[in-house]
Amino acid sequence: MITSPVKLWRRQKNTSALIGKKGKILQWTIIRVPAKSFIDQAPYPVVIVKMQNGENMIGQLVDWQEKDLIVGKDVIAVLRRLRTEGKEDVIYYNIKFKPL
Amino acid sequence: MKINILGTHATKFGELWNISPRALAREAMENALNASGLKASDIDALYVGNMLSGILGNQANLGSLLVEELGVQVPAFRIEGACASGGLALHNAINSLKAGQYKTVLVLGIEKMTDHSQDEITNALMSAGSDEERLAGATFPGVYALMAQAYMQQYKVSEEDLACVSVKNHYHGTLNPKAQFQFPITIADVMRSAKIADPLKLLDCSPISDGAAAVVITSENILKKNKKPIQIIASEVATDTLSLHDRKSFTSLSAVVEASTKAYGKAGLKPSDIDVAEIHDCFSISEAIATEDLGFSKKGEGARDIAKGKRTLFKGDIICNPSGGLKACGHPVGATGIKQIVELTEQLRGEAGKRQVEKARIGLAHNVGGSGTIAAIHILQK
Repeated sequence: MITSPVKLWRRQKNTSALIGKKGKILQWTIIRVPAKSFIDQAPYPVVIVKMQNGENMIGQLVDWQEKDLIVGKDVIAVLRRLRTEGKEDVIYYNIKFKPL
Repeated sequence: MKINILGTHATKFGELWNISPRALAREAMENALNASGLKASDIDALYVGNMLSGILGNQANLGSLLVEELGVQVPAFRIEGACASGGLALHNAINSLKAGQYKTVLVLGIEKMTDHSQDEITNALMSAGSDEERLAGATFPGVYALMAQAYMQQYKVSEEDLACVSVKNHYHGTLNPKAQFQFPITIADVMRSAKIADPLKLLDCSPISDGAAAVVITSENILKKNKKPIQIIASEVATDTLSLHDRKSFTSLSAVVEASTKAYGKAGLKPSDIDVAEIHDCFSISEAIATEDLGFSKKGEGARDIAKGKRTLFKGDIICNPSGGLKACGHPVGATGIKQIVELTEQLRGEAGKRQVEKARIGLAHNVGGSGTIAAIHILQK
């Protein structure tokens, strides 16, 4: 997957502000057939999180166990490498969620 | 103003490796014109519903390409709204008639998907969502899986209940010679098919397909030639947020509620007046929710009503997806919204063969893009 470095750079300004923010799982699923750049991580959960400021976010759940997959579970936003890039692509770091 | 359907045609849906996109489009367009008793030179404009030709086929400018194929030089427009591209093309075509700009137009829906690898298709379909969804690794089935989870928890619905949507649509598909899948499946087949995104399994998901469908519509009075023309009595479109997570509800699509409420209002009808509906069942959960959003079933009862047979040919009250729907008939995304109109026209004319809905007088087409980000509702009357 090719992603414009400019687009990555522009998004990253907002990313750092989210690190450490907390919320609760509103809904979850486990992706078993992912897009190519996420194959190394599958199967992985994707969660919709109600953040403490009231906004909803969608993201991957990392460092998870089966018991973490419940509505209402507390999670925290962490910075993680996003996916597997092509050899000449910029390495992309993004917000993911970790169970608390 | 009366919007009359003159002629229609849908190609076979499926893995059509031996047919090029041009040939597929031409087959649908020429047969729809023939069925209308018209020549290409009789149409005032062409509207094309297509989602992926730019991303997959590196071909934009479809309007020009397709009128070249028809051998005429009329205004031509390609309309894109993810899987609702077909319904949106028809809506725009109808608006052009209502505006008096054109009198007779050809509307084509087309998608050629199986020329490309599954990876390419997965990525391309994710273009219907938002950056946030893509960066979360949420595939298109993944986003609908989140809705299915919410729906099952909120209304105590089982995976088996949802599976009944696919079982019904495959049964209907056995009666449609143009369907991609013409074999029946059981609840057990759905339950043991491979998991895609929990709780959705392979047989909860519509397939990747090739296909095209076309209709010719006119604002001219055709009563002389055609005793009982099928008319489009309502055409409404509504939108919602691009991302699922930004919505208040994950168990109802407000774009569908809004567009259908307006359509019922324009047509002067209520949900129970509908005899037959073509529903956008991109996933089993989609049809369950759709039958509630359209007012056919009470909230939380859509899947259970389908399991009870209330949407099944020859036994239900409001028959949904006699064509086999997206699940069994196939889902060439840009073609789907037009195929729904072709199916309903055949039903209302009483020309649907083995899958004929008895005494069908009023039909509804429900075409949805993305995770419910856009919906097109059309109501047809005999």
